[in-house]
Amino acid sequence: MSGMWVANGLSQDLPLGVVMAGSWQGAELAIWRSATGRLSAWNDRCPHRGMRLSHGFVRGETLSCIYHGWTYGTDGACSKIPAHPAMVPPAAIKAEVYACVEADGVIWVAPAGTEVVLPDLSGLVAVRSVTVQADVAALTRGLPGFVQHGAVWRGQVEGAAVALVVQDRGASVTLHGLGAGDRVRLSRWLDGVRRLVEEGVLA
Amino acid sequence: MIAQAVLNEWYPVAMAAQVGAWPGRQTQLLGSDIAVFLDAGEIVVQRADGSALAVCLRYGHVWACLGTPAHDLFPIPEADQPGRRLVDCGVVRVKCSPLRAVENFLDIAHFPFVHTDVLGAEPHTEVGRYEVQIREDSDEVWATKVHFYQPQAAKSASGGIVTEYMYRVAAPTAAVLYKTCPNKPDAWDVIGIFVQPLTEELCEVWPWMALFDDATPQADLIQFQQMIFLQDRSILENQIPRLLPLDPGKEIPTQADMTSIAYRRWLKRKGLTYGAQMVAA
Amino acid sequence: MKLYDYVLSASCYKIRLMAALLGVKLDLVAVDFHPGREHRALAFRNLNPAGTLPVLVDGDLMLTESTAMLVYLAQASGRAWLGDSTPARAAKVQNWLAFSARLGASLGMARLHDMLIYPGDIDAFRRAGVECLRELEAHMTEARFAGRIFLEGDAPTIADIACFPNVALAPDGGVTLDDYPAIRLWSRALRALPGFIEMPGIHRLHELKPAPEAVPALEDL
Ligand code: FES
Ligand SMILES: [Fe+2]
Repeated sequence: MSGMWVANGLSQDLPLGVVMAGSWQGAELAIWRSATGRLSAWNDRCPHRGMRLSHGFVRGETLSCIYHGWTYGTDGACSKIPAHPAMVPPAAIKAEVYACVEADGVIWVAPAGTEVVLPDLSGLVAVRSVTVQADVAALTRGLPGFVQHGAVWRGQVEGAAVALVVQDRGASVTLHGLGAGDRVRLSRWLDGVRRLVEEGVLA
Repeated sequence: MIAQAVLNEWYPVAMAAQVGAWPGRQTQLLGSDIAVFLDAGEIVVQRADGSALAVCLRYGHVWACLGTPAHDLFPIPEADQPGRRLVDCGVVRVKCSPLRAVENFLDIAHFPFVHTDVLGAEPHTEVGRYEVQIREDSDEVWATKVHFYQPQAAKSASGGIVTEYMYRVAAPTAAVLYKTCPNKPDAWDVIGIFVQPLTEELCEVWPWMALFDDATPQADLIQFQQMIFLQDRSILENQIPRLLPLDPGKEIPTQADMTSIAYRRWLKRKGLTYGAQMVAA
Repeated sequence: MKLYDYVLSASCYKIRLMAALLGVKLDLVAVDFHPGREHRALAFRNLNPAGTLPVLVDGDLMLTESTAMLVYLAQASGRAWLGDSTPARAAKVQNWLAFSARLGASLGMARLHDMLIYPGDIDAFRRAGVECLRELEAHMTEARFAGRIFLEGDAPTIADIACFPNVALAPDGGVTLDDYPAIRLWSRALRALPGFIEMPGIHRLHELKPAPEAVPALEDL
């Protein structure tokens, strides 16, 4: 089901060894890339005391929680509890794992086991992600002439093809922008889109 | 509905030295608007409707009770010990459950990661076995014989040492710790954390100290304490859920968390559930 | 060199951080800003009539503006940090120093409001703070297109140090940084600089150190 996949950022914005916050529908996520490039998306909550794992740190193929340093492998299983260095953590201690893939420079997340069906964004170059304080319904105002297919809005900017992948976050939306034109111009155009949509919300 | 047991407890609402004339300090206690002000030389705490609350002044702070006080405010005998310096450290607001703020204060395992190179540092992350009891006579939670390796245990410490701690939950939102005193090996430094519950998810925290330390300037002592507490703040504001889960199963404690387990059990047993989550969401 | 300092002040931190990165030793004099309001007391105002922190004293020189202190430290101990290799770059650095005042008046005030219960219109502080972050994000996005990670040019400058603290501490004032990927990577690059020091609210990047191989047993210490 392609509708289950939610765009969560651009590959270029999540380098090796970095963790960031993400979302899947109402759920808050921690999305991270290991030293060898493996992507993972988990519920943003450490099983120990509920600290956001997106505040944690990546060492090699593990993500550690910033609060007490509990360390988890890419399968989500806890591999180390620093307060008890000699203890092997029970298998039950496990982060809640989502499926996470990237294609055409976009990072996508879905519940574990979801079949991978993603829109084709080939031929476009990732530009930037912009968060707009408006709901999805307000987007039409800022994107005249754009056509929506699922999460992707396609159109032209100064004659060049543009695709905006929409991450619906309830009160706000993040637009992950890709295009065939000059990146600087597209980046500034995206700032303009945001202004237009938000002014419409205020008016 | 707030449980009567919660209403009948004492909570800190101001630093005594800072209370001024009306309008004084306009704040909240357990969701009720209150004002703390000086009236003819007396400190008064009153509700929005003008009714006065029971008040007591101890440990540099103003304590108030919205209900009928079930008992006197807990004792800290060290506060009256000659030679100790009492230090009020001011207030910090934190968007978290008041109970999570106390629980964090009772926790040592986070020192290497949150108070890095001060209260802890990798690879010295081990928390040894310690003793925890709910003392029936005083109705308090105590943890004793807690040992931890610290690179700089106090403002007056130079170099790493294994520090011994005792922790004590004296009231639902007040805890006191005793730690090895670098200046006086036969005595304990005493540090309190007094938490004012504004709502179930918002609190104001008043750290307080009673130390044997004549040398360190006041501003340094306060800033050391504020540095430590502010390192915790970004943790406390990012725990999910905001309320402290009292039902086992929602979070996973280990042996290092015995104090937290006892604290949660004690809260539950006494019905002190303001700021707690009872049913797993 | 003496810095009158408050551990939670973003402006004081700018100077501590700059000095640490330059390897300059500061004698810190803690001023009881909160709760003592010592910076407003007579004794302190005899030093700095404006009653503000930080204050930097070096011999006869006394400075009360953090941006001026950054210039002074860089001039004396690390000229590359001035970012004045071309007239345009020098001017842009000045632009960011002025911008850093906007960060203080917005994100900095939101933080004081939320953390130390300062009065003020929190929504206005946050709105103005988000405007600043968006401008910074747009700039850093374009910088990254050009292969750069710092504010101006290929190396960090006093512009980065002037802007970094109030940006990194934005969550203290209830303003999220999750929406700004370019700012996140810029902030990481600064935090990874040799000699970087933290302040409360900015955690150590523990990943810069490898995981400990063996943990010494507590009994053996
Ligand atoms: S909350 Fe994550 S390690 Fe304790
Ligand atoms: Fe702590």
